[in-house]
Amino acid sequence: MKGKFCFLFLFVLIFVIFSALVTVSADSDWEKTLVIAADSDPSCIDPALSKAYPVGSEIIINIFDTLVAWKSPDFSELEGRLAESWEISEDGTIYTFQIRPNIKFHDGSEVNAETIKSALQRTKDQSSYMNRYFGYISSMEAVDALTLKITLNQPISVFLSWLAMPEAAIVSPSSAESLGEEFANNPVGSGPYIFESWTPDTEVVLTANHDYWRGAPKIEKIIYRIIPDASTRRLELENGSVDISQQNGQLYSLPVEDIKAFETNPDIEVISLNSQIIRELAFNNNSTTSPVKDLKVRQAMAYAVDYDGIVDYLLGGTASRVMGPLTSNNWAFDPAILENSPYTYDPEKAIALLKEAGYNEGDLNFKLYTFQGTLWGMVATYLQDNFSKVGINVEVIQMEFPAFRDIVVSGNFDIYLGGRQPWYNDPEAHITIDYLSSLADTAMTLRMPLNAELDQKILDAQTATDLNERKAIYTEIQHELVSWVPGLYLFSPNVIIFKRAEVKGLVVNSAPPLNEYWSVYKEEK
Amino acid sequence: MFEFTVKRLLYSIPALLLVLIIIFGLVRFIPGDPAVALLGAGATNSQIEFLREQLDLNEPVSNQFLSYVSGLFQGDLGDSLRTKKPVMQELLSRLPATIELSIFAALLAIIIGIPIGIISSLFPNSLFDQLTRIFSLIGVSTPAFWLALILQIIFSLNLGWFPISGRVDVYSGASSTGGFLILGNLFAGNFSVAWNAFQHVILPASVLAAFYGATIARFLRSNMLEVINSDYIRTANGKGLHKFSIIFRHEIRNAILPVITVMGLKFAELLSGSILTETVFSWPGIGRFMFEAISVRDYPVVQGATLLFAVVYMVSSFLVDLLYGTLDPRIRVN
Repeated sequence: MKGKFCFLFLFVLIFVIFSALVTVSADSDWEKTLVIAADSDPSCIDPALSKAYPVGSEIIINIFDTLVAWKSPDFSELEGRLAESWEISEDGTIYTFQIRPNIKFHDGSEVNAETIKSALQRTKDQSSYMNRYFGYISSMEAVDALTLKITLNQPISVFLSWLAMPEAAIVSPSSAESLGEEFANNPVGSGPYIFESWTPDTEVVLTANHDYWRGAPKIEKIIYRIIPDASTRRLELENGSVDISQQNGQLYSLPVEDIKAFETNPDIEVISLNSQIIRELAFNNNSTTSPVKDLKVRQAMAYAVDYDGIVDYLLGGTASRVMGPLTSNNWAFDPAILENSPYTYDPEKAIALLKEAGYNEGDLNFKLYTFQGTLWGMVATYLQDNFSKVGINVEVIQMEFPAFRDIVVSGNFDIYLGGRQPWYNDPEAHITIDYLSSLADTAMTLRMPLNAELDQKILDAQTATDLNERKAIYTEIQHELVSWVPGLYLFSPNVIIFKRAEVKGLVVNSAPPLNEYWSVYKEEK
Repeated sequence: MFEFTVKRLLYSIPALLLVLIIIFGLVRFIPGDPAVALLGAGATNSQIEFLREQLDLNEPVSNQFLSYVSGLFQGDLGDSLRTKKPVMQELLSRLPATIELSIFAALLAIIIGIPIGIISSLFPNSLFDQLTRIFSLIGVSTPAFWLALILQIIFSLNLGWFPISGRVDVYSGASSTGGFLILGNLFAGNFSVAWNAFQHVILPASVLAAFYGATIARFLRSNMLEVINSDYIRTANGKGLHKFSIIFRHEIRNAILPVITVMGLKFAELLSGSILTETVFSWPGIGRFMFEAISVRDYPVVQGATLLFAVVYMVSSFLVDLLYGTLDPRIRVN
């Protein structure tokens, strides 16, 4: 017994002595190191295996280059990255890329038409996420060392946007082949940062690629610290031990409290940008038995919701109103839809419409299915309250995602609360998947019934090669959808990023909401 | 002794097999498919089907079970559906963090819990006893995430004594190594890193120790009170033995036996990871990993981790039994 206590005493004594002798050096590396708090481990940092999760995809765009990318700061047009320029054939099926010369992967191998072709082929063969997009590629050919020709099996105007997704990033084929399955743990690209290490649930470390073709990045080392708890991320940021914290948990939690706390803190800046994410209450439009098949019921429910209350009161201004199937920052958004929009709060009109449809107070009873999490619960309860004021009874059911998806895809519901986060910057990302009737049973959509005319317009907008023509078609589609009222467009949550004031040069993308850190630097303390 | 050990080992085989069958079936009973969970809300059925094929989820469950068991005999727990890495590697990379935290939590709990338990039993219903009773109640009933947050705000943000979260400072360069950071770096001579890691373990260990220590204190107190009133203690007092000799040689020795059972089970519980504490302190342990695995239906990880927990419980109850024999000659084997 005595011996044990002595050991313990010695142990404590040793630490006390060392505490006086040593301190961990911090300041010397401070300026050249960027510490980013991430809410979870990246699920994957190999583009071909990535399933479009924020943390992994953001690391991917910093390690790899894509052929093309959205141009900062407003991300409204594409610029060449590995591709210097490109041409699209008149029929919209052949894309010919001129590859930028003298670029090397981190393993020293050359980036050329052949290596890019192999990388894209690898993704096409392996990626469960990209097969939906790369399925349109019928062939790829390296015409010469720096010319790559991609042929599609039908014209797809949004193809370049797909190539700009992190999941379409170009890996080094020689490393991918030599490392095999281990490539996912040692990814090799040509981007501004080189992968150094990944300690599960702890951190991912990247170091600067001094030979990067756009110029060496200013930050020498990026450390993604995995901090799953939002309040811990906040404390770490306040403490200065984290430089940037992303609000990746938008699906489940609200940043309102954090924003309020940071407003008075001069060390911290809050970046809040409009996104293209839409959260909506979706009707089962394909149902022949549900009361929501009646347009008047759908319109009544649209008038019953206090949209401004959700945005201003419930979400504390961390979201924006959505007036139709596209967010107002989308290039195809048509402001004219506001004229006919039923998305205004008018409970009396709602009650009148319900009467017209033959429903009295208490006649309508719905189960409102939604995701788990505080955010969804709050919005659902708010809607429940709104609907009760016009005599519609709603029971809120929050479910684990896989079970929730089963219900939605099987069509066994009247209304659900969901939404879409587009991973590429194009109206197609919302319109095709949500409203094309042939996709109704294949994903979480608004389950539109067969409507040959609307379907054709959606497909035309997907294949038209002229931007103005596309915009005109999307305008028609928006008008048609708003008068159909397929769902209640509730709000678009902002992309919110907290950063220390010393961090400069950060440019935030909104679709997808990921950051490139090539241009970031830190100012002297 | 040898016979006892062999017997216990043999008994554990059917128990483990039963655990395996139950968990294999249970995880598949939870509604929802791993491919669905992994691909998220935007996925189409064709994307999900592609992934299901890749993950061999279209195989009949019986075939999946057989190939899993045959893999087990070769020491292969399968690959994680989420990270694609071998489950064994995933578990082993997180186990040191949990073990390190558990050891410090247990040490703290014992250092605090045992003396408190003894002192309050010696002076029952005194002010000290009343106070420790209140503190124990608070310790047992305070939610871990709340206590964690309060400790972080007071001792990290305001006083700056301890780091907020993580296992070691990112600038120390040691965080990417994993493993046993305190002992490993101490033996390797990296004293600054070991010290830094030690500072990091204090707060999470305290949160776990609050519950664990309070349980020990309350349990020891009530056992001590029972023992104090027994005949042989009265005899010892009557014989005129020294007070300390009675307390340490007779009372504690007899009262501590049931406490050791509790401590053993609690320690096994600590080793199975504590989701909340690990989450709040960004501790890369096994509890958090298991929690994330369940939420995305990562079958091989859930199975592997459950098996590991079963083994941990078996080993710890076996050790408790051995310790029992050492402490109490009456129940020594043979």
